[in-house]
Amino acid sequence: MVVMEDIRARAKELLESGKVRAVLGYRRSSAGVLAEPAFVTAPEDTAALVLDATCVENLALYLVNEKKRQRAEKTPDTRPLAIVAKGCDSRTINVLLQENYIKRDEVVILGVSCENGGVIDTKKLNRALRGKPATAASFDGNGSVKAVFTGGETAVPAAEVLADRCLECTQAYPSVSDFFFGEKESGRTYNRRFTAVSAVADKGMEERSDFWAGHFDRCIRCYACRAVCPMCYCDECVVDSTNCVVKATTTADEKANRIRWIERSVCPSENAMYHLVRAMHLAGRCTDCGECERVCPVNIPLRLLNTMLEREALEMFEYQPGLDPEQPSLISSFRDGDPNDFIR
Amino acid sequence: MEVILKKDRLGEWAAKLGEGADVFAPAFVEDCWAFTKVEPGGEVALDHGNTVRPAKGFVFPQREVLYRFSQDSGGAPRLTETLPDDPRAVVFGVRPCDGRAMVRNDKVFTCGFADPYYQARRERVAYVGLACAEPPSPNCFCLSVGGSPDAEDGLDVLMTELDGRYYVKALTAKGKDIVVAASSLFSEAQPADRSEAESVHAAARSHPQRSIAAMDKVAEGLKRNFDSPEWDALARACIGCGACTYLCPSCHCFDINDEITSRSPLAGERVRTWDNCQFPEFTMHTSGHNPRETTGARLRQRICHKLLYFVENHNIQQCTGCGRCITHCPVGIDIVRIANVMEEAAGQ
Amino acid sequence: MSKNIYLPKLARIAGIKDEVPGARGIKTFFVEFPDGDGFEHECGQCAMISVFGKGESMISIASAPAVKEYKQFSIMRTGRVTTAIHDMKPGDIVGVRGPYGNKFPLENWKGRNLVFIGGGVGLAPIWPVIQTAVANRADFGKISVFYGARTSRDIMYAEALEALRGAADVHLSIDAPEEGWQGFCGFVPANLLDKPQSPDNAVAVTCGPPIMIKFVIKNLIGMGFADEQIYTTIENKMKCGVGKCGRCNAGKDYVCVNGPVYSWAQLKDMPQEY
Repeated sequence: MVVMEDIRARAKELLESGKVRAVLGYRRSSAGVLAEPAFVTAPEDTAALVLDATCVENLALYLVNEKKRQRAEKTPDTRPLAIVAKGCDSRTINVLLQENYIKRDEVVILGVSCENGGVIDTKKLNRALRGKPATAASFDGNGSVKAVFTGGETAVPAAEVLADRCLECTQAYPSVSDFFFGEKESGRTYNRRFTAVSAVADKGMEERSDFWAGHFDRCIRCYACRAVCPMCYCDECVVDSTNCVVKATTTADEKANRIRWIERSVCPSENAMYHLVRAMHLAGRCTDCGECERVCPVNIPLRLLNTMLEREALEMFEYQPGLDPEQPSLISSFRDGDPNDFIR
Repeated sequence: MEVILKKDRLGEWAAKLGEGADVFAPAFVEDCWAFTKVEPGGEVALDHGNTVRPAKGFVFPQREVLYRFSQDSGGAPRLTETLPDDPRAVVFGVRPCDGRAMVRNDKVFTCGFADPYYQARRERVAYVGLACAEPPSPNCFCLSVGGSPDAEDGLDVLMTELDGRYYVKALTAKGKDIVVAASSLFSEAQPADRSEAESVHAAARSHPQRSIAAMDKVAEGLKRNFDSPEWDALARACIGCGACTYLCPSCHCFDINDEITSRSPLAGERVRTWDNCQFPEFTMHTSGHNPRETTGARLRQRICHKLLYFVENHNIQQCTGCGRCITHCPVGIDIVRIANVMEEAAGQ
Repeated sequence: MSKNIYLPKLARIAGIKDEVPGARGIKTFFVEFPDGDGFEHECGQCAMISVFGKGESMISIASAPAVKEYKQFSIMRTGRVTTAIHDMKPGDIVGVRGPYGNKFPLENWKGRNLVFIGGGVGLAPIWPVIQTAVANRADFGKISVFYGARTSRDIMYAEALEALRGAADVHLSIDAPEEGWQGFCGFVPANLLDKPQSPDNAVAVTCGPPIMIKFVIKNLIGMGFADEQIYTTIENKMKCGVGKCGRCNAGKDYVCVNGPVYSWAQLKDMPQEY
């Protein structure tokens, strides 16, 4: 059983001892039912930390963002960050470690087990509550989510409101952590892995083409999917024509000759290119935190693009990102026995 | 002009209008409400909360070709103006917050230098509003910013749902036209209808909403606390996406770029696209100097623009309290919470 | 101006002068309106110059309003659009939209002494004020022009600056000593301190790199200039030029409409977001 007080106590101790410069965790939000990221620096503020089915964000994003923020500081505080990490979040941390974006001693991982639970998908919750906005959601420990709304509460079977990635999860606890809270669960019996993507990917080419064209048409290129993805940490993104890293030494020629791979225009061609190129750049790196899909304001099922590629990585190369910080990267390594029948 | 439309005749009204215009109404697409074109004979139901995307897109589309250019090698450039020539449009189900936002957008685009693209579309689009019986979102706060669930500004018609029928009030000449176009569907509103509508409005106004007590104190707090480190703290979680601004009914920032369709001979389009102040490079000079380098500075810009600068320039709040930015922010950045923080900070 | 505020007029580059060579070189472009549809402008105003296929850039109009035959733009090569402009030749056509922005209130300065302080390409935005003042010499008191660049090869408008002597006191500077250089060696603000200017009945107008403006203003205040007596012109990233795209604001002001000309009295109370 994950005991919240244990997590709070550990976070408090880490701050009081000065071992970490901040604790990345979750706290209640004024904006809605989901928890929001908390950057706790004062030990007494650890009392506000929460952990429940609304803690959907992948806080590993802030390991990247805080690192970038520090680059601009003259005298950065180089103590590590502590981070509350679910299984999926810790797999992201593993890839960041594998890619050397962060070092192991820069992070103190407070690993938490989901213990046959997980996090909710607010779209599914909306459907279950028939549009009544929820104000709180938590597991009752008995296979249901208790949802509170203005005027009442109800219990919904977990399988109806858990996020797809939770339903398909094969390891709902971190493999790497400094402190571990809860029990390593076993016997998750929701869906098989890749259930959601198979429903789409196993259809015919024309149907899939129409499916995605329809979705990309609705995209407003807000870049929320990219901004929330911890693996999209490039300072200069190839599928964004507006961003351009300019230093004092950047010449006029470099700026003049910078290629715009994708135009600013929001239209089917540019939208499709944006999503597909971004997905390709995440192949073998995406650890299925599902945030891209959650944050999309127009509900494009983005997770399917990435899980499609992860399914291929597993089937073709037996590769699963994020289980081991020491493993080589998919794209930049090969084994003699790798399939090569697609090379003609 | 105030008339009554039986609920089951709404589809006929849309069909009649569809003979001379594109008709849009909210439809539930992919688990969210969106203004969707009503096909001939299509259903129109007004049982939505609020659409995810605001109504501004009909007069300020996300992509607008300003003009085309072409140039043969050795020749002079030729420019072909491409003012919008879209069919007339009627949009049903527009909430009063989106209507009021159109008044703000009108100020931006038609005052000072008049924007011919915006004007051309504004003339052809009729906004048919729907008064809110209750707040469509837990993050609504229209009452705090001078709005209300039955506000009329910016709309051409305001509909109010009564028992079995709609109370339809034409607010502008355009609004009158679209009622008269289907006059046989309507009956004249009676005093009992009007008083039922007024009760619906009064009940809606008494529903609790998110609240900001005093907008003028918020403005004062924003002014005093420009350099406060609080902004970095408030923006700590911000990921720099465009959800808040693209979904905001009164955000209007845009970019202009040349998009080439042929290199030789040169041909292409000068295109206007939505842009947003939360993107890191929005204000970056070519030299690399960026006046707003941090998420804190960019968040401050958005909040100050909405709740201070626009007020200083135009004497009205730019924010109309729809709550979309709060609901759709991936990380819970909350303009109401920030406004309350700034209101408290005004005294210091 | 065309009824469509975004549609440029077509104008021909009548002549090009190389002012400063090198990777961040400066060229002056003399632009004519062959269709007779040019426009009048005031000192301090700017125009959007288009290279179709590349984009638009907001450039100060460097010629005096009294000059009707052409508009002068002195442009530093720094990015996509300015590189494309630099690649152009006399006879090439560019798009021009304008004039935009506010003006230097020269009419309020009659009878006063004028101190101009420019650095690098920052001389261009204040050049029309200098030209107009000198052309109407009797209307003004003492005129002083301070101008500096990194090296002697980086000095723009060299002959025109020499031609000012007599009508104005001209004080040139370069950053570091050079063989053959007779003038001041050091930064522009230091040159100003070296030849202190009286604030009595005076107005100072300055433009240059931000760091230079900062120290020039500091030194002017140290000499006794009041905030209202100091004027500058600022810049910000711009796209529409007409106060709608929302990009160039410093506080409630859109620099393209309410600026770019500001007195220090106004500017010091504005958010420093430029």
